[in-house]
Amino acid sequence: MHHDEALVALVTRIVLEQLQNTPSRSQNPKEVVIGVGPAYGTGGAKTINDLSHSAVLAEIKAGIEEEGMDFSVVQVFKSSDVAVIGKEAADLSGSGLGIGIQSKGTAIIHQTDLQILSNIELFPQAPLLTLAHYRQIGKNAAKYAKGESVTPIATQNDPMIRAAYQVKAALMHIKETEKADRNKPTQHYVAQSATPLMKGGQN
Amino acid sequence: MKILAAVDIGNSTTEVCLAEENDAGKIRFLSSTSVFTTGLKGTADNTTGILAALEEATVQADITLNQISHIRINEAAPVIGGAAMETLTQTIVTESSMLGHNPKTPAGMGTGYGKTILIENLPSIANQESYIVVISSETDYEEAAKIINQHSNIIGAILQLDEAVLVYNRLDKKIPIIDEVRDIHKIKEGIETAIEAAPPGQSVGMLSNPYGIATLLKLTPEETLQITPIAKSLIGAKSAVVMKTPWRNLAPPQKIGSISIKGDKNIDVDFSHGAGTIAKAIEAAGNIRDITGEANTNVGNMLEKARASMTDLAGYGENPQIRDLFAVDTFAPVAISGALAGETSLEKAIAVAAMVTAGRLPMEAIAQGLSKKTGIYTTVTGVEPVMATLGALTTPGAGFPLAILDLGGGSTDAAIIDENGTVKSVSMAGAGELVTLMIQSQLGLASRITAENIKKYPAAKVESMFHIRLENGDTLFYEEGIDPRFFGSVVVLAPGGMIKIEEERPIEKIVRVRQEAKQGVFVNNAIRAIRKLNIQAKHIILVGGSAEDFEIPGFLSTAFADMGMVCGKGNIRGTEGSRNAVATGLIMSYAGGV
Repeated sequence: MHHDEALVALVTRIVLEQLQNTPSRSQNPKEVVIGVGPAYGTGGAKTINDLSHSAVLAEIKAGIEEEGMDFSVVQVFKSSDVAVIGKEAADLSGSGLGIGIQSKGTAIIHQTDLQILSNIELFPQAPLLTLAHYRQIGKNAAKYAKGESVTPIATQNDPMIRAAYQVKAALMHIKETEKADRNKPTQHYVAQSATPLMKGGQN
Repeated sequence: MKILAAVDIGNSTTEVCLAEENDAGKIRFLSSTSVFTTGLKGTADNTTGILAALEEATVQADITLNQISHIRINEAAPVIGGAAMETLTQTIVTESSMLGHNPKTPAGMGTGYGKTILIENLPSIANQESYIVVISSETDYEEAAKIINQHSNIIGAILQLDEAVLVYNRLDKKIPIIDEVRDIHKIKEGIETAIEAAPPGQSVGMLSNPYGIATLLKLTPEETLQITPIAKSLIGAKSAVVMKTPWRNLAPPQKIGSISIKGDKNIDVDFSHGAGTIAKAIEAAGNIRDITGEANTNVGNMLEKARASMTDLAGYGENPQIRDLFAVDTFAPVAISGALAGETSLEKAIAVAAMVTAGRLPMEAIAQGLSKKTGIYTTVTGVEPVMATLGALTTPGAGFPLAILDLGGGSTDAAIIDENGTVKSVSMAGAGELVTLMIQSQLGLASRITAENIKKYPAAKVESMFHIRLENGDTLFYEEGIDPRFFGSVVVLAPGGMIKIEEERPIEKIVRVRQEAKQGVFVNNAIRAIRKLNIQAKHIILVGGSAEDFEIPGFLSTAFADMGMVCGKGNIRGTEGSRNAVATGLIMSYAGGV
């Protein structure tokens, strides 16, 4: 039987590389991972609704912290798709819950057992998302991680949004996609470990 | 050979059964169906549903509609039930004297005592005063924590936003913090205040105890007496604040009201004595002609509500007379008037079901309409309880003297038949609708449909994408994965799939409320009905919509077994379960030559 030696070697090398590049899942069951898109924090660093990327991230973190949970932040490079970003975050998360967020502000709550194109909650109309929404997104993701009964977040829905923001959204998405690199591993940024909540019944 | 059709029009379902009579007069059942009743029971709109049911039954029996030679329609019992509920107590707080609620995420624990002060007004120079700091939404958690860290004499904090944990995590010295206080601007400065946050899994102990409040706020015996409603409404809260403001309960003791029963004996009974006393009075009054409530009282209003709902249903012009009343003691979470954080208090409530008897329903008109449409000879015949007992007799193992309990939506009907074929029947107010009402109010549900779903189906918690935990503790795995919108939710398991309960209620509470409501209504009412028949039954067969319930027959079997009677869900003709009793009875009565 004929083997294409070169091809086998190539495949082996890519698989090994991918394995090396795959960050392992955290062991902290209290952790919710926030995954940001490839261009997050660059190019003006604002969402389509003109919210600064750092403020958005701070609100999501605060939401998770208020629920008594921990968070990590990772940057996903392999795709600019919000579902892929969210799913990657969920796969790395100790609780299995992840939040994906694109530079334009579109957000998703994902869970590791779900298919990529499925999700727990999706917030597709980024121009309508405020900082209060991002706090809620953090809170809800943390509640899902705790196994609590969660009320989905009420967001506005404006059928004209798509038309009004189409060009800006497309430009921002193109920028994000330009920064995407299939082979670039996901990068860990912040990991905030257990805040000193009640230990052993002491204050 | 002749083919007969029997039709039973109920409040919710229309049931049909087909049978053939051979030349020797022997009856053989062919098929039976059940469809939703179209329109109100006893109106011409019912015809559509009857035709649909007949169609289905003929297909099942492999015959055509025009082969039917005779349709028998049941003379429906003209009984309409209604239910209403009213809270009897009320808590009002004034001058921001109290705060006690269950913020999802309070922080810290312990008690403290100090004077309220706005965070903006904290003195820069340290003094000996103990402060409870009031932080509105204008100060964010980073800023608030920084300021608190600079003041060692702050012993507690009240936040407007949901940020207790965020502030707490940033404090050097940990203090109890209460958050999600919407109307924080109503809190005045310089008020002596006690604060308490309970340890995880517990509720406040000091501030839910009148003497605890008295200890912290140094109250006199008179003041302690006045503070009691506040302590009561804080029972079960995870965190609480009580402020020493001139306080008095503005709510005058509400007039609950009494009812006048006109029957064999005329009896007036005060509702404040509870459901037990009312039940005794109803029983003592014998055959009731009408019941009226005292005007402009809670009870008067409630009876009017029940009467109005029945008037609509029956399409009466004038006020119908209430022939029976069934009351249940219950409670309902009610928003505290004047509260700062949307607190609720569990108030005493009473739910009643009332029943009116209508005149003869216009069944003849339905029969004529049906006859015109189908060309089949149609008659109205048979009294409902008699037909139901005849049908129930076909249950394997049933014997005389046999009673049936027809557990419906608006009323619970009972009938008994002895060896001589004599039938005696009663209708009692209170059934499925009252259960729904109690579930809705006790769980504080927005929608009646949610309460209906909780009543009908067992609950479960979706714990992962692949498994749910059933209310009895069992685990159920799903191969395909569960729809992500159910993730983390409490659901009920309806035959068509899961239904999510939108309100965040613990599953244990849902189950407890559901079971208590069913037992409170059906067990009590069944015993009351059987007792009113005044004949010792050996067998009690459950029929009607609520007999199909997944747990009510079990509750009733247990209750009657303890009284030495056989009680269980019917199994009409050994195949139909508790359905089709009346339709079966109609066919049997034909065979018997009635």
